[in-house]
Order: sequence, then C-alpha cells, then structure tokens
Amino acid sequence: MSVGRLLGVGTGLLTLTLLAGCAADPGSKPVDVAGGVPVGAVLALTGNANVYGQDQKIGLELALQHRNGAGGINGNPLKLALEDSGSDEPGANAAFTLQINRGVLALIGPTLSQQAFSADPIAQRRGVPVVAPSNTATGIPEIGFFISRVSAQSSVIAPLAIERALKIQPGLKRAAVFYAQDDAYSTAETTIFQKALKEKGLDPVTVQRTQLNDQDFQNQISAALREKPDLIVLSLQAVDGGNLIRQLRELGYKGLIVAGNGMNTPNIYPICQKYCDGLLIAQAYSPELDTPANTAFLKAFQAAKGGAIPPQLTAQAYTALQVIGDALVRLDKRQPLKGATLTAARKALMEEILAGTYATPLGEIRFTPEGEVIQSQFFVAQVRMDPGGRSGRFALLK
Amino acid sequence: MDLLQILVNGLSVGAVYGLFALGYTLVFSVLGVINFAHGAVFTLGAYFTYLLIGGAVGANGLLAGFQLPFALPFWGALPLAGLGAALVALLVERVAFRPLRRRRADPLLALITSLGAGVILVNLIQLLVGAESYAIPTGALGGLPASFPLLGARVRTVQALLLGIAVLLLALLTLWLEGSRNGKGLQAVAEDAETAQLLGIDSTAMVRLAFGLSGFLAGVAGGLVGLSVSIAGPYFGIGYGLKGLAVLVLGGLGSVPGAVLGGLIVGLAEAFVPADWSGYKDAVSYGFLFLVLLLRPRGLLGRPLPTKV
Repeated sequence: MSVGRLLGVGTGLLTLTLLAGCAADPGSKPVDVAGGVPVGAVLALTGNANVYGQDQKIGLELALQHRNGAGGINGNPLKLALEDSGSDEPGANAAFTLQINRGVLALIGPTLSQQAFSADPIAQRRGVPVVAPSNTATGIPEIGFFISRVSAQSSVIAPLAIERALKIQPGLKRAAVFYAQDDAYSTAETTIFQKALKEKGLDPVTVQRTQLNDQDFQNQISAALREKPDLIVLSLQAVDGGNLIRQLRELGYKGLIVAGNGMNTPNIYPICQKYCDGLLIAQAYSPELDTPANTAFLKAFQAAKGGAIPPQLTAQAYTALQVIGDALVRLDKRQPLKGATLTAARKALMEEILAGTYATPLGEIRFTPEGEVIQSQFFVAQVRMDPGGRSGRFALLK
Repeated sequence: MDLLQILVNGLSVGAVYGLFALGYTLVFSVLGVINFAHGAVFTLGAYFTYLLIGGAVGANGLLAGFQLPFALPFWGALPLAGLGAALVALLVERVAFRPLRRRRADPLLALITSLGAGVILVNLIQLLVGAESYAIPTGALGGLPASFPLLGARVRTVQALLLGIAVLLLALLTLWLEGSRNGKGLQAVAEDAETAQLLGIDSTAMVRLAFGLSGFLAGVAGGLVGLSVSIAGPYFGIGYGLKGLAVLVLGGLGSVPGAVLGGLIVGLAEAFVPADWSGYKDAVSYGFLFLVLLLRPRGLLGRPLPTKV
C-alpha cells in the first residue's frame, strides 16, 4: 500500500471515529423525561473498594425513595441509573461515558478520589454536573466548573482526630504514619495528617509506604515498631487498613491508632475484628445529629436495615442525590426541563446546584462557587467492638 | 534482632509463594503449560476454609446469609478446603485442558482456556458470595497466642504456622515424588509422556494426579493466607498468581526444589527492601527476577533446553 493510500485510509478512519463520537453525544437533543428525570451514579460495587460502594448504594436507594415519595421532580419521577466502576480508573471512565451518552442530567460518583481524577475530566469536557459523595482528596472541585462534592475534604476533617488523640493522651510524642503511595486519597490525606502532626509538635518518627492491594504489612510494621511509636496514623482504604490494624495489634502495638476517611465504614469490623476497638476517626456525619432531615434519613435507614446505624458513606450518598433532586425541583419550576436541550439543562442544573442551600442528614450544607462543600459540623468517633469482636459501632466522642 | 525479624517476615511470605508456585510447577512439569486458573483455585481454598469454620456469606451474593449447619475447627477445615480445591482443579483439567490435549492442540490454547476457566471461577465466586471481604476469626487458632517473642524478634503465630505447614507439605511432596510408585510415575510423565505411556504408565491418570495435588496445595495455601490476612474479595488470588509466576520462572520451569527456592528468595528479597522503600517491594522482586533471568535464562534450578539441530 502506498503512503498516500495509507494516509487516506488513516484520515478516513479518524473522521469516522470523530463522527461516531459526535453521534454518541446526545447533548444537542432535548431532555428525555418520558420515563422519569434521568440521573446517573457510578459506584465501586465490585473490586477492592466495593465495601464503600455497597454502603453508598443503600444511600442512593433511600434518597430516591424519599424524593419520589415526595412527588419526584414536580410530579415527574426521578430515575436513577446505577453503574459499577469495578473500583478502578478504566471502569470509572467507561461507566461515566456510558451514563453521559445515555443522556443523564447529572452524575453521582465515582467512589474513590483516584477514580475521580480520571473520570471527572470526562464529565467536565462533556458539560455534565457531578456531585461526588465520597471524594475527599485535595483538588477534586478544582477539576472544573461541573465538578462538586458533598464530602468535605480531608484537610478540614482529618486534623480533628489528631486533636482528639492528644486530648485522650496528652503526652504523645512519637507518631508513626502509614499510607498507600499508589492511591490519590491516601497520599492527599497523609500530607494533611503529617502537617497536623507537625503543628502539634509530633514530627512523625517514621513514614511507611504501602500499596493499595497489599495485604501483608509485617515488614512495614516491624520497621515502624522499632521506632517505639505511641501513636499510629493511617491513611489507607478499608481492606488494607483493616488488615494492617490486625497485624499491628498481633505484633504487640498497644497505643492509640488514628485512621482517615478510608476506614470510615462498618465494613472494617469483619477485617480487623476485635482489634478495631479504640480506633479514632473524624467524621462528617453523626447519626446523633438532631435535625428533621437526619431524623427522616435515620428512620428510613433503620426501617430498611433492621435498626442498624447508618455509616457516613450512606449519609453522604443520600445527600448527593438529595442535592441533585432539590436543585432539579427548583430548576424545573423556574425553567421547565421538558423542551430544553440536554446541554443547556445540564449547565443550568450545575448553576442551580451551586446556588442552593440544603437541609441534609449531614446538617445544612451549601457550596463555594468552585463546588467545594461548606459544612458546619464535624465529629470524632471511636470504634467500640462488641465482646465477640464480630460487630461494633462508631461511638461519638463528645 | 532486626535481621531475624526480616528473615522471619521474608521466610513466612516466601513459604506461601513457594506453595503457590509448586502448584504451577506440578502442572507445568507434566503438560508443559501454565495453568492460569491456579489463582482462582487458591482463592476458592480460602473461601472453603472460611465456610467450613462456620463463616456466613454476606449480604450481596446469591448465597446471601448462607452458613453451613456445622462449624469445624481450623485444623479440620484446612485439609478439607484443600480437598475441595483439588476437586475444582480436577474439574478445570477436565474442562479446560483434556479436550485440547485429546486433539493435540497447541499448548498455547490450553493457556487461554485455563485463563478463561480462572475468570469464570472468580466471577462465579462473586455471583455466589458477593465481592465483599471476609476474614477468618482471630480466635480460629484456639488458645494459641496472636504472637510470641523469638530472640528479640516478634513473630505472629500465623507466620510461624505458615512456614511450618509449608515446609511440612514440601517435605511430604518430595518424599512422595521420590519414594512412591505414583510419584515416580509422575516424574516419568514429566520427563517424556509418550515413552512413559509405552512403559505402561497411565499418563492421563498422572495428569489428573498433578492437577489434584496442585489444587490441594493451592487450597491449603489459600486457607493459610486467608487466616493470616483476610479474603479481600474474589480477586484475592490475582496478586499471588502473578508472584507465583515470577517464582516459577525464577526457580526454573518445572523444578519442584526450584519453586521452593524461588519462593523463599522472592519472599526474602521483599523483606529486605528498606522500610522507606517498602511500597516498591514488588518492583524490587520483579527487578531481581529480571536480573537472574539475564544471567541464567533457565532459572536457578531449571534444566537447560535441549539443543535443536
């Protein structure tokens, strides 16, 4: 084949690809509200972050039930399409693209910050509002105008647990830090933890790096224990963090442990079992918050889950869908969705999301113009395991 | 003290790698092909152990809430889990390997069918018991302490057990291979299947035996690792599968002592990575493998390839 023909074939293929891309983008079409007002969610329902995705799925289901029970979007039901990211970046990218091509008005997700840094730019380019329910790494709303979150960033919450540890044991001197170096959330949070430690005069005596899929931490633990720490600070996800705590305690560490948001789920209980007891975690949600929105959420959760206490991730996912639902109701009243083009409706919805104030299970929240959540109250909890070590609770520290 | 701690950590992890790679080795020695479903069989061993000690299935699979009507002690559950895994390995042989062998298909095809069998098994686990993590209860070893001091080092009891059981199984396997009729038959088939068949050795039975043994070893290794860490979902065996492949190549394809040596070397190489660089331990162990292969392409104890004329 001559160079000219090769170039011709190449140009043809490129044109076809571009045309196919344009054909897949429904932005110029009117919003399809025939079967309900379409919203999408992308959660990690399988893979190593599935423990978070399962918690979030319940929150979305409850919020959907609540919204549609209260009349949907001005009489039209809210329709939620859920996709699995498989806990990795390619999965999140594919699921975001699929949802956008389906014509959703807004997206919730993805579960992990690591996935968000990969998938959110797709939504930003395509002009689709994203409300992140659990991304806490620095720099998420900064991805662009269409990206927001209801999960307060680590820099706001994480230092609270260090302060509490010092309140419990004022003589703390030697902190050892662990984080997963291949995870955006962990690396962002550990920077905040380490800064908070230094500000409190607790320069880390050792910083141990792990990887997200590690399960055996004996080398890192042995190295850390040689430094005789009296405080351990973890920025890890639930499975690796749970395993590390178990191995840490089995190898004889008896001091305080502070963990970050990645371990803020009851799904750690079966992993570290009795060794989870005493773990300190700062939280963005408290089931004890006495507001009508939280009471309604708590009641719905307990009816669905046999009296259990809702985890933070469930409350945040509920909040994310509530924010989109409330904003849609206001937008549709002001500027009916029916007849509007998808591109225009998505942009107007993002503006509406950022403009609102919301009474949610997390308390009253609103957003900065960049999409960062403004939340007034945070909490610190300590894990209390039942005598059998199989289940426990996050006990709020007053 | 530090050196002893590093040795203990490295040897206990290396023993698991060795057990894992032995399964690959047994199948490779008789068929000349790597069984990529081995990681899934290892994973199943961990799940079988969890269920046999009375563990309940979580809320997300078809078997949500399922629990066996009995609960065995860990020591009873582990060999049974190994047997269960052996049965699954035999099924893999029957479905993914035997039909191709009968048609004298290219061994590369068996590699792909075994990969397919592995993917199906992993998805089946996810369908049945969900993708959540499971953990064997911390008290599964009865009254044994969680850890004990050893010459200034601190050893988790489960680490010591991993090492002890792995050494015991390796010794038994070596004795059986060298001292029993079937063991020698397996070696004969590994040497030359057609000649062994002419000498009256049932090579099909030997292949089945290799798969059964390989599955048993994988199942026991899975149960032990599940006890030491947790069962981090259906994909739990993938990391070990990759490391097992590295060990297999490092030790020398098809060499039983090579698999053991390779496992221990990789485990120790990881343990000796300085603490500040521990996040890069995989890169160090694979870099080490790369270096060894450059200097000795057939692996540490592998036999030289015959010269073709």
